[in-house]
Amino acid sequence: MKISLNWLRELVELPSEVDAERAAAALTGQGLEVEGIEPKGREISGLVVAEVLGIRPHPGADKLRIVRVRAGKREEDVVCGAPNVPPPGNRVCWAPPGARLPGGRTLDAREVRGVLSPGMLCSESEMGLSEAAEGILILPPTAGPGDDVARVVGAVDDVFEVNVTPNRPDALSHLGIARELAAHFGTRVRLPEVDQVPEVDGGLAMDVDIADAQGCPRYTARFITGLTLAPSPISLRLRLAYCGMRAISNVVDATNYVLLETGHPLHAFDFDKLQGRIVVRRAREGERMTTLDGQERALIPEDLLITDARGPVAIAGIMGGATSEVSAATRNVLLEAATFEPRSIRRTAKRLGIPSEASYRYERGVDANGIPFASLRAASLMAKLGGGSLVRGTVDRFPRPPAKVTVPLSLTKLRRVSGVDYDITFAIQQLTRLGMGCKPQGDGLLVTVPSYRPDISIAEDLVEEILRMGEYGKPARKDRIASNATELANPEGSADRARRLLAGAGLSEIVTWAFVPKAALAAISGDGKNATLGQGITLRNPISADYEVMRTSLLPGLAEALKRNLSRGVADAWLFEVGPVVRRSPGGDATPVENNHAAGLLAGRRSGWLKPGEPLDFYDLKSVVEDVLRGFGIADARFVSPGTEPFLHPGVSARFLSPLGAALGCLGELDPRVLRKLGIETAAFYFELQVAALAGAAAPLRTAAPPRFPAVSRDVSFWIDLATEAAAQRAAFLSAAEPLLCDLGVLEDFRDPKYVPAGKKGVLWSMTYRAPDRTLTDAEADDAHRRVVSALSSTFPIQIR
Amino acid sequence: MASEGAGTAQGLVLLFESLASVFSTEIATLQTEPEIRLAQARYLGKKGKATELMKQLGRIPPGDRPAVGAAANRARESIEKLVEERLAGLAEASLAGELARSVDVTLPGRGRRAGTIHPLSRVRMEIEQIFLGMGYEVRTGPLIETEWNNFDALNTPADHPARDMQDTFFVEGGLILRSHTSPVQIRTMLAGPPPVKIIAPGNVFRRDDDATHTPMFPQCEGLHVDKNVSFEDLKATLITFVQRFFGPQTDIRLRPSFFPFTEPSAEVDASCFLCQGKPPARATCRLCKGTGWLEIGGSGMVHPNVLAAVGYDKYDVTGFAFGMGLSRMAMLKYGVTDLRLFYENDLRFLQQFPAG
Repeated sequence: MKISLNWLRELVELPSEVDAERAAAALTGQGLEVEGIEPKGREISGLVVAEVLGIRPHPGADKLRIVRVRAGKREEDVVCGAPNVPPPGNRVCWAPPGARLPGGRTLDAREVRGVLSPGMLCSESEMGLSEAAEGILILPPTAGPGDDVARVVGAVDDVFEVNVTPNRPDALSHLGIARELAAHFGTRVRLPEVDQVPEVDGGLAMDVDIADAQGCPRYTARFITGLTLAPSPISLRLRLAYCGMRAISNVVDATNYVLLETGHPLHAFDFDKLQGRIVVRRAREGERMTTLDGQERALIPEDLLITDARGPVAIAGIMGGATSEVSAATRNVLLEAATFEPRSIRRTAKRLGIPSEASYRYERGVDANGIPFASLRAASLMAKLGGGSLVRGTVDRFPRPPAKVTVPLSLTKLRRVSGVDYDITFAIQQLTRLGMGCKPQGDGLLVTVPSYRPDISIAEDLVEEILRMGEYGKPARKDRIASNATELANPEGSADRARRLLAGAGLSEIVTWAFVPKAALAAISGDGKNATLGQGITLRNPISADYEVMRTSLLPGLAEALKRNLSRGVADAWLFEVGPVVRRSPGGDATPVENNHAAGLLAGRRSGWLKPGEPLDFYDLKSVVEDVLRGFGIADARFVSPGTEPFLHPGVSARFLSPLGAALGCLGELDPRVLRKLGIETAAFYFELQVAALAGAAAPLRTAAPPRFPAVSRDVSFWIDLATEAAAQRAAFLSAAEPLLCDLGVLEDFRDPKYVPAGKKGVLWSMTYRAPDRTLTDAEADDAHRRVVSALSSTFPIQIR
Repeated sequence: MASEGAGTAQGLVLLFESLASVFSTEIATLQTEPEIRLAQARYLGKKGKATELMKQLGRIPPGDRPAVGAAANRARESIEKLVEERLAGLAEASLAGELARSVDVTLPGRGRRAGTIHPLSRVRMEIEQIFLGMGYEVRTGPLIETEWNNFDALNTPADHPARDMQDTFFVEGGLILRSHTSPVQIRTMLAGPPPVKIIAPGNVFRRDDDATHTPMFPQCEGLHVDKNVSFEDLKATLITFVQRFFGPQTDIRLRPSFFPFTEPSAEVDASCFLCQGKPPARATCRLCKGTGWLEIGGSGMVHPNVLAAVGYDKYDVTGFAFGMGLSRMAMLKYGVTDLRLFYENDLRFLQQFPAG
């Protein structure tokens, strides 16, 4: 909300040393954050009020005239081309030589068609005050010749951008902000003066009937007659502009001005366009109306309306109707000042998508007790600006006056919640400054809350009121530092363990959105054939197609990040992400299942030292997964081929299971068809694992002392069917149950068709034999090795090389 | 072995004496220990030259034998000494060769670099460590929440204007994406009686997407509910946190504010750790833009309606809560100027955050 400091100064007395910065600091300190201060009118200077003394034609040009003006003791002849130079005696704005205009333009004396002109007479647009360029600015007769124009019209100002939290409707006006400053500086607010205007009897009258007292607790109507529509004076238009409102006409501007001043929304109806009487009621099924922005609105029965004999004339608290809009022909006005139920306004404003200054305040709560003043102030201002009169006889329907709010505050409570040893006198002083009434009660107070503070209903609210008058800014007390460390669990621990292990394995963590485009899920789920992956939880109100559906896998985000890095010339990308994926509950519950996954995507080359590295393959990926499994204490995970995930290459993928058979995750090369759909133009290797499953499969760490006796190693090399996996060969060797065999591993898997018989592969295994209690002899080792190898050859057809 | 000196004592003595000098010439050409040991054996071994000469001793008159024996011993000793010296020389030469090797220490190390931890994870872990040290537990909750947990239980009923402060994402089944991590507070309090002392880090969602807002962003909230927890305890906790996070000279400033779920409520500013909030550095400080203060989050005393919503006795316990945006904390701490960098996942940015 924009607040003019000039305007504030009219409403509250501020100590002389209080400048814009200090006033802003006071408001910020009290919870009304001033987000910015915009100095206004500083780009013009030296413009003076000048009295027109005489006008004569220009000898060299028909359209120009020579205007004699006086400012103070100075009299000059100024050349002017404006059509609206007023008769002698009127005041205009003169920019004499040396005056500055917006854009850094400085005036000097220059010849205009042969006549020397000392500066010029200015229009509003030349002064940068408005867009109005037609003719020069004519100032009110109260302006003193020689005075600074910028000050006379209030152009020099500081405008605060105040962030008012939604609990403080009372602060949505200059008066409300003035009250806060008065409390801060210990001074009083001055209510704006009501203009003295003529009052007349009779002529205009219209009855008001509130059919829905729940929706409309108070409705008042005032009548103003004999108005003439015209632009408002420059000073008023400037204030509206500085506060972000467009000037329209004196009648409408008066309502907006008083809205900004008091926070009370007001609406002016053209009285002559109303018929019968005003009824405040809910809309009827199928009812429609055209609002004054020219839009036709379909109404529903929860919308609150202002109607006359012919139908709706306004959507209550939101926007007036086109049929009763104030226009150039308006002479008589019905001025509405009312309160409406916040929720109802909020729903309708939201549904129709027409937030307005009025609805903004009604949604937060307008003080019903402030209405008579706001209505009188606005009506008088309107009459003054439009040359009209007030009609005696105000209609005031007030079916639901607000209850008087009193809140007890015990001293114990105040001290317990604040932690400060306040005494009661201090509390009374602070609360009184804020307009509260205080009566002693028990060990504390019974506080009467002014009706403009709907945010205060419990003792804690009062504690804040007292604290915010200074305590917030004070330093913390040293004796309250809380630190009693205990050993506590951290559920993020497993996810963070995965993060550290993956970073240790050489991957870089990324963070991507939890929602992804639908197309990405289609790409990884075989066009939705895999429902777990393909049918994510959809957002009902996504911002864009990029945020349509909750991710069912971390792959779309990683793929997108890989693509971006590749496109930026980063060819070696080892990426990982850890975070929740969201899937439909398999049981069909409404609540989806969220599980932390860890996933990695690898592309590029292996590290080659001082020479280019080899392209990555499946085993680079598997080594990362093995590192993570080891880090989680899972020694014997089983890798089962093929992987079942639809996005992995059918021949280069696997699932991995815990020793007890629990599914842990999948890994493999991405299917080339999926790569194409994801827009990745290089081979990429992917794994995804369930963090909780890994944590659950972790075996406690158990260690053994290093062996004391030396080991003996023996190798065996053979041809075997291509399809017989290493794990199967291993199992066959182990089936010998040879007690001396302590370790075995593949040294070579050799498939070059130039040397290997068709359908076979050459495999070289190395075995380690050791006895726990003695050094083995060669003969013992040879015997053990023979038993182990024959266990293999009796299981699979092999040919020893 | 026969020669012209054989048969006489003097001749034998001469032969023994020449033995050592011949060996000396022979050994000088040998480069390895095995060769040297073989040569030694050819002179001193069972069938060696010295042994052969000794066999002639029987033919020497007994009175001359001691002189010949002495010459034989001298020859043996000389040869053994020559062997030791030669071996020592070789060892020295080999060590010198070994020590003469050198490498270009400016070439990079071999193998794959360790990876990196995302700045948002890194800053979360750091914050968790600080609060774990103050006796807080870390709690987490689901992203998809009920409106009750996210709003109603937090004193933000339907149509409450505060719901305007955060535009919410809705998903199927009447559920929403949580707009803050406060539902974790609700879940924790519903799960057990006070005292409660937790922090709740996690991603939250709001319908905002521009230069300074992302639709998803990480938050960390804290909650401490117990008997006699006051606003002063909140202040003390916050100052402890900012001093451990930003440095011991850091100060805090609280400003009154409004959150539906706290009363009293406060915005939390930390003094700028770059300029310390002090002139003249303050005037040109890029970080705090000359204000001397950095906004880091919101806080306040838990609203009695929140305590009541979870079935706590609002007359018996009080509590405070606080929350901060982790992107903001990471930007401040690591000098990141563009929020979008956190979500672009450009490795050239991410690799500046080594794990550790």
